[in-house]
Amino acid sequence: LSRVRGAPRALRGLAAGPGMHFGFQSVTEEERREKIYQVFESVAKKYDVMNDSMTLGIHRVWKDILVHKMNPCPGTLLLDVAGGTGDIAFRFINYVRSIRERQLQRKLKQHQNLSWQEIFENYQEDRFNSLGDSQVVVCDINREMLKVGKQKAQHLGYSEGLSWVLGNAEELPFDDDKFDVYTIAFGIRNVTRIDLALQEAYRVLKPGGRFLCLEFSHVSNPLLSRLYDLYSFQVIPVLGEVIAGDWKSYQYLVESIRQFPPQEELKAMIEDAGFFKVDYENLNFGIVAIHSGFKL
Amino acid sequence: VRCQHCPPLRALQASAVLRRVSDEHKKEPFTSSSQQQFDRHPAGHQPDQEPQGPRPSYTGQGGQESEDYESEEQLQRRILTAALEFVPEHGWTAEAIAEGAKTLGLSVAAAGMFHSDGSELILHFVSECNAKLSELLEKEQKLVQLGEAEKKPTDEFLRDAVEARLRMLIPYIEKWPQALSILLLPRNIPSSLSLLTSMIDDIWHYAGDQSTDFNWYTRRAVLTGIYNTTELVMLQDSSPGFEDTWRFLENRVADAMNMSNTASQVQSTGEAVVQGLMGAAVTVSN
Repeated sequence: LSRVRGAPRALRGLAAGPGMHFGFQSVTEEERREKIYQVFESVAKKYDVMNDSMTLGIHRVWKDILVHKMNPCPGTLLLDVAGGTGDIAFRFINYVRSIRERQLQRKLKQHQNLSWQEIFENYQEDRFNSLGDSQVVVCDINREMLKVGKQKAQHLGYSEGLSWVLGNAEELPFDDDKFDVYTIAFGIRNVTRIDLALQEAYRVLKPGGRFLCLEFSHVSNPLLSRLYDLYSFQVIPVLGEVIAGDWKSYQYLVESIRQFPPQEELKAMIEDAGFFKVDYENLNFGIVAIHSGFKL
Repeated sequence: VRCQHCPPLRALQASAVLRRVSDEHKKEPFTSSSQQQFDRHPAGHQPDQEPQGPRPSYTGQGGQESEDYESEEQLQRRILTAALEFVPEHGWTAEAIAEGAKTLGLSVAAAGMFHSDGSELILHFVSECNAKLSELLEKEQKLVQLGEAEKKPTDEFLRDAVEARLRMLIPYIEKWPQALSILLLPRNIPSSLSLLTSMIDDIWHYAGDQSTDFNWYTRRAVLTGIYNTTELVMLQDSSPGFEDTWRFLENRVADAMNMSNTASQVQSTGEAVVQGLMGAAVTVSN
C-alpha cells in the first residue's frame, strides 16, 4: 500500500475538480447542495415507488445483499447515513432480530439441566431484549426523506432500537469512535465533498469498525453498458415523469450515476481516508457495487 | 516504532497516521529500552487521540513494532487467537470471532474481515497446533542429541507424536465435528490438505525418516490414515481420559509396523518361491 499520494489525488475528493457538477451541468458547490436538496425534497414521497419501478424491484435484493455482507451480530451499533426512508435500517433490525432468536433458542437447548427458577429468570431478561442491544441511527440531510422514513417505520411497526437524526454526511453530529458499522446506500453519489464524508465516516467509527457503501457504479462490459445507458436515459426519466411527475429529478439521478467515480477510484478514495482492507464487490456486472473498508 | 507502554488500542487508532509519520520516526536513532517513556506524538500530531475504555494488558512488543508494516495480517491473527477462547461457547463461527475482536478492544464489526462460516478461525487453529507440535518434537530431538533422553523406537515415537497432537483438540472436542465439516468444504480443501500433509511430514522427519524411494509416500500415507482414523475415534470416545482412543492408536501403529514387516517377509517369501520354481523347472528339463 503506497501511502504517498500526490497533489492530483487531493482533488479527487471533490465531486469533479474545483467546479462542481450537478448531473451533466456545471455548478458551484453551494448551488449543488441546494439543487440536490430540492431534488430529494420533491421525490421524497414517491421515492420507494420510483425505486421499485426503475430497478424492477432489484434494489431490494441489493439492499438485502448489503445487510448479509454486513452480517451484524446482536449488540451492533449501526449508523445509516443518507438513509432517508429507512430501507437499510429496517433490514438491519430484521436480521439482528432473527440472529437473536436463534441465539436464544440455542441457549434454551443448553438449559435443559437447569432448575425451573433459573430458566424463568433467563427467560425474563431475554424477553425484553429482542434486539440484543443493537441500535441503528438513521441520518439524513433532508427533512422530507426523514419524515417519510418515520412514517414508514410507524406503519411497519418498527420502534425499538431506531432513531432518526437530521445531519450532513460531510459534518456528522456525532462523537468520535461511536459506531460499529457505517453504511451509506445510494447516498454517497449525492454528497458534494466525498472526501469529507469519508473522513467523517472514519472519525465516527470505532476501531475495528466497518465502512460499507452501496452505490451505482460503472459497467465494464460494453454490450451491457450500452443497454444500460439506453435504459437509463430513455426509460427512467419517462418513468419519473409518469409516476412522480418529475422528469428533471430523474434526469439528474441518471446523470449523477455517470459522473460518479468508478469502482477502483472510489476504492482509492476510501483508502485515502484511512481505511484498511478496502475491497469492492460488483453486483449485476457493475451496475451496483458494494465497497467495504475497516478502520484499523 | 517501539512504544512498549502505549496501549495497542491507541496504536490501532493512530495506525493510519502512524504510517505517514513512521518515516520520520524511523530516522530517529532508537535508544535502548531504558527510554521507556518514548514520546510518540511530538508537536501534537494527534491532539485528540484519547484511549478508549479498558486497555487490554498486552505486552506484544513484536506486534507493536510491526503494526506499522504488517498490521493487517498480524492483527487478523491476533483476533483469531483471541477468538479461540470463545469457541467452546459459540462454536467455530463469526460470533466467536466477534467476541475475540471485542476482547482486543475492537468493534464487533471487525469480524467482517473474515468469512462468515469461520473457516479462517479453524485453519488458524490447525496451523497453530501444528506449530506447537513441531516445537515439541524439536525440543525432544534436542534432548536426545544432548544425550539427556533415550531415542524412542519408531512406533513409540509416532504414537506419542499423534497423541500429543490430538490432545490439543481436547478443549474444543465438542465443536470439533463442526470444524471438520467446514474443513472439508471444497473452498477449504487445498489449505486443510496442505496443513495435514505438512504436519505428517514433520512427524516423520523428526522420527528420523530419510527415505528417498517409494517408502516416503507409503509411510506418509499410512500415518495420515492412522491420524485421521484416530481423530474420528476420538470424536466419539467417552471413556475417561480418552483411554479407548489411545489404545486404538497403539493398535493401529502396531498394525502398521507389522504390515511393513509382513511386506518384507512376503517379498522374501516370494523370492524364495520363485527360486524354488526355477530349480524345479531346471530339474524337470533335465
